[in-house]
Amino acid sequence: MIKSAFFLFLSVLIATSLVILQETMSNLIWLSSVNMPVTFSIFIATYIDNLFMMNGGGEVPLILLVAIGMCFAFLVSKILLNWVEISKSFAYGLAGSAAILAIVLLMPLAFYNLDILAGGRSIAGKTILSLYGFISGYFFGASLSSKVES
Amino acid sequence: MKNKLGIFTLFILFTLPVNAAQVIYKYQNLAENISHPWGIAVIDENNILFTELSGALRIIEDGVLNPEIISGVPDVLFAGQGGLSDIVLDPNFAINQKLYLSFSSPDQDKKTNTLEVISAKLHSKKLIEIKTIFKAAPSRDTAAHYGARMAFLKDGTLLITSGDGFNYREQAQYLDNHFGKIIRINTDGSIPSDNPFVNDEEALSDIWSYGHRNPQGIVVVDGVVYENEHGPMGGDELNVVEPSKNYGWPAITYGKDYSGATISPFAEKEGLEQPIKYWVPSIAPSGMVFYNGSLFPEWKNSLFISALVPGDVRRLDIEDYQSDQEEILFSDLGRIRDIEVSPDGSLILATDGPNGKLIRVVRAN
Repeated sequence: MIKSAFFLFLSVLIATSLVILQETMSNLIWLSSVNMPVTFSIFIATYIDNLFMMNGGGEVPLILLVAIGMCFAFLVSKILLNWVEISKSFAYGLAGSAAILAIVLLMPLAFYNLDILAGGRSIAGKTILSLYGFISGYFFGASLSSKVES
Repeated sequence: MKNKLGIFTLFILFTLPVNAAQVIYKYQNLAENISHPWGIAVIDENNILFTELSGALRIIEDGVLNPEIISGVPDVLFAGQGGLSDIVLDPNFAINQKLYLSFSSPDQDKKTNTLEVISAKLHSKKLIEIKTIFKAAPSRDTAAHYGARMAFLKDGTLLITSGDGFNYREQAQYLDNHFGKIIRINTDGSIPSDNPFVNDEEALSDIWSYGHRNPQGIVVVDGVVYENEHGPMGGDELNVVEPSKNYGWPAITYGKDYSGATISPFAEKEGLEQPIKYWVPSIAPSGMVFYNGSLFPEWKNSLFISALVPGDVRRLDIEDYQSDQEEILFSDLGRIRDIEVSPDGSLILATDGPNGKLIRVVRAN
């Protein structure tokens, strides 16, 4: 149980960090396209700043949203795994992907159709964020599987 | 005992005049329980037109709110920050009764909407001769950041602020759309031949300046255009706007995104204009007016900026606006959406919300 909680925490952490990476990249790539002097050190500084500010300086801590979304999605996945024959890693990967996509799609409904996560405004952005959710969920599923095997 | 009495007397002597000097104004309610008042146009000291975001154009006649709503206002999209927004009177209103209204206009499919400006004639509590003179392009699927303020330049052309639509912020840097721009048109909707981008094939020729976020206040003082705009989380700005210039949003900003993310790590860059003043944290500036009235001589040559957060009015000396000094006034009224000056020198304030008020600020003594 403690190990599962630890893996869950790690997967939420991975998902949050990757979502913030997408947010940072999305803004900086555009800035670079309009000839703003974006450098590698600016990227690193901005990413670190975003890691802190998006989890404590915004309207809602991102990690909290991700944790709620992933807990719910993983729970549904765990229930479905009782009936569906599918690899645990893949099932939790899909759940992670759905959780992040749900956050990106549902947040605008609460804010007059406004995309609070700017990195998820385009279809490409949504796809990347879903992929990041999948990676985090897959990590969680794979960790659980390896725990069972050991 | 004598000492204590002396100290008490000194205290009274020193505090009384100070308090008397601080409160030089008082409020008079002009209208109550009005739905989201947004724009005010003062015809004369007793007759005031104002808009309600929910779509009504109303009038205070001889100092009393007329319960009858002025008819003929087009359908507006009342959602989010959208609705019937600003009203300005034609410089020759006394002769031609023409006025201009800005509003968020739903497209036919009802899925998208845009900022629209109409001209109309006010005739017996009815708008007639209604003509669309501006429609922002392209449409948006959000109901936020319309800008929608208007002001006349000395030459009779009309400036319209157009917000970035929130989700379309990067578009403020491109000249092929109306997001995050200040527009300049003639009152018949035609485009002045001396607009800065008329010869640029890739630009919309009604654009006057760009790189704005959500400009909520604009005023022209002796030919100088002052504009205020909402930053994101922090970074509200007061700008002196000149034609063709780029005010930087979102390439440079003093604010952060609502998620906490850095929109841009840059606050300045050559070729991008700096604000003459900015606010961190945000004050959410709304209306803006220049005061040159006689009722409050101590406020002459001031810019008054109404603010939604936490809710007050900022007075800035126009000759010293770059200093950090600003006087905070009327902070007991809540969110203030607009501010105007009446010909008698009193200020007219509109408080925000579903139970808004129109308040006249007059001299206390």
